[in-house]
Amino acid sequence: MQRRTLNIIFFLAAVALVVAAQAGLLDNYTLTILMFMGINCMFAASLNLVNGYMGEFSCGHAGFMCVGAYVGSLMSVGLFTSSKLFGAPLLPPELAPFLFPLVLLAATLVSALFGLIVALPSFHTRDDYLAIITIAANYIIISIVENIDAIGGPRGFSGMKKTINAMHGVIDIPWMLIWVIISTVVCITVLYRLVTSTYGKGISAVCQNEVAAEIMGVNTNRVKIMAFMVSSGMAGLSGALYAHVYGYVNAQAFNILKSTEGLVMVYLGGMGSLSGVLLAAIVFTLLIEMLRFFIPMLNDALHALSLLPADLEVSQIWKWVIIPLVLILLMQFRPEGFFGNRELTHIFPRLRRWIYFR
Amino acid sequence: MLCVTALKAAYGKIEALHGISFHVERGEIVTLIGANGAGKSTTLKALMRLTPPESPTVTGGDIAFEGKSILGMEGHNVVDKLKMTLVPEGRHIFGNLTVMENLTLAAWTRRRESPRKDIEHIFELFPRLAERARQRSNTLSGGEQQMLAVGRALMTKCSVLLLDEPSMGLAPLIMYDMFRTLKQLNSEGLTIVVVEQNAKLALQVADRGYVLDTGEIVAGGYSAELLQHLEIKAAYLGG
Repeated sequence: MQRRTLNIIFFLAAVALVVAAQAGLLDNYTLTILMFMGINCMFAASLNLVNGYMGEFSCGHAGFMCVGAYVGSLMSVGLFTSSKLFGAPLLPPELAPFLFPLVLLAATLVSALFGLIVALPSFHTRDDYLAIITIAANYIIISIVENIDAIGGPRGFSGMKKTINAMHGVIDIPWMLIWVIISTVVCITVLYRLVTSTYGKGISAVCQNEVAAEIMGVNTNRVKIMAFMVSSGMAGLSGALYAHVYGYVNAQAFNILKSTEGLVMVYLGGMGSLSGVLLAAIVFTLLIEMLRFFIPMLNDALHALSLLPADLEVSQIWKWVIIPLVLILLMQFRPEGFFGNRELTHIFPRLRRWIYFR
Repeated sequence: MLCVTALKAAYGKIEALHGISFHVERGEIVTLIGANGAGKSTTLKALMRLTPPESPTVTGGDIAFEGKSILGMEGHNVVDKLKMTLVPEGRHIFGNLTVMENLTLAAWTRRRESPRKDIEHIFELFPRLAERARQRSNTLSGGEQQMLAVGRALMTKCSVLLLDEPSMGLAPLIMYDMFRTLKQLNSEGLTIVVVEQNAKLALQVADRGYVLDTGEIVAGGYSAELLQHLEIKAAYLGG
């Protein structure tokens, strides 16, 4: 029982969150940020499998998120709502809360398939080549989506709110929060079990020394492709949730900047550290939201002290100066990130007494 | 058992082996000796079917294992199906893992079973590794790392072991120890192909040997004959 203390605390915290949301104690803004934390956790942790544990360098992870977002959105709109594109709903909207996991699963599988398509040609090469190919894949995916007019093209795609409303029509509980929490827990558990299994050890063997891995009988190509598929599938899942939390998707939301956010979270947390990357995802989400308030404050302060000419404003665009700056400072002073390649339980061994995770 | 005929191998456009032929019988120790750049390591990498860019592409000839060509095979299948593996030059151990983790990882092809028994066997063979079981392997001495590399190869349950310069960077005493262990493993039934620059030492242990020079086999035969031959050509091989 003692060994499960932290698990129980996490579980109670999740339940408390849902109850608080239901009771209206949390406003929509706080809720959205909480959900984005979960989504970023999934996105960063899945990227960490390729960039951290496997030591490859994937730069276009948001491309797979985009695939998942569109597949999930199209499915949920087509299945549960009446839309111009698909006409009448294929299934009664009352089924939405029960069949929504299928939508998420489909988004995961299709993204994993895209991962396979990208991985097959690129894993005959290594290092920089993979980085270039994944960036290219990111651009290709976005261009394709933007050029299909039926799904909105550059205007984006919406209608997922209706699915959520259909869910609320059945039982009025904070559905999206619940789906995000469940998906995050599933992703983290799958990733943890994968990297601690012997198969996962094969992944880090490939990372360290491909020749050595091969002469121990590890099918290096298969291990790499498998890990890449798991990673892109989870990115797709996070994309599908992202689309439903917003109720609107636009391909440009998944451009190279989003991929960079993923890289920042992985390097901030420490490559090959699951707990580190999760912490980094939470911190990073908070940091971005804090900048939303901090930048106008800075602007006012600078004007009040008349350090800035009156016609010059510090706008939100400065976010994209501050975030890269964080990355530069990080590389300068703590290149290994929060935890390096260690886990929280390695740094605080006593935690192991309180948590049960396998 | 292992039969190489007119093997040509190249790195990109540069041909490293110009058609070499040799054979290895079950239970033998065979050594390939020669100077730097003679193509010894290239031969082993070609045998292991490792992929470019580190390894050569076979451009001609054939490698047959028990009569069947293995040119279409991949490295991990050579380990898994043929039970042949390599102790690479420079050891290639997993530096940030402990000795124990290195050995456990090497039982990858049998990952459903517990590797405990096999690890104990390795520890009997190399007691020094048992003392260092929980130590990160990049903190080991050169000799211990070489023991770990051999131990790790044995964990794959191989019946043919290829070694690339096992004596490199070792103190003479440890070097002799290593070859004594190889001899012991051979008497237990392991077939060994060892590449060496230290020709005398290798020929003392091996049953037969081949001398490579710039991608061609220039001499071959029983170790005793080669040793005599060597003494005549001491200068040529650098004694």
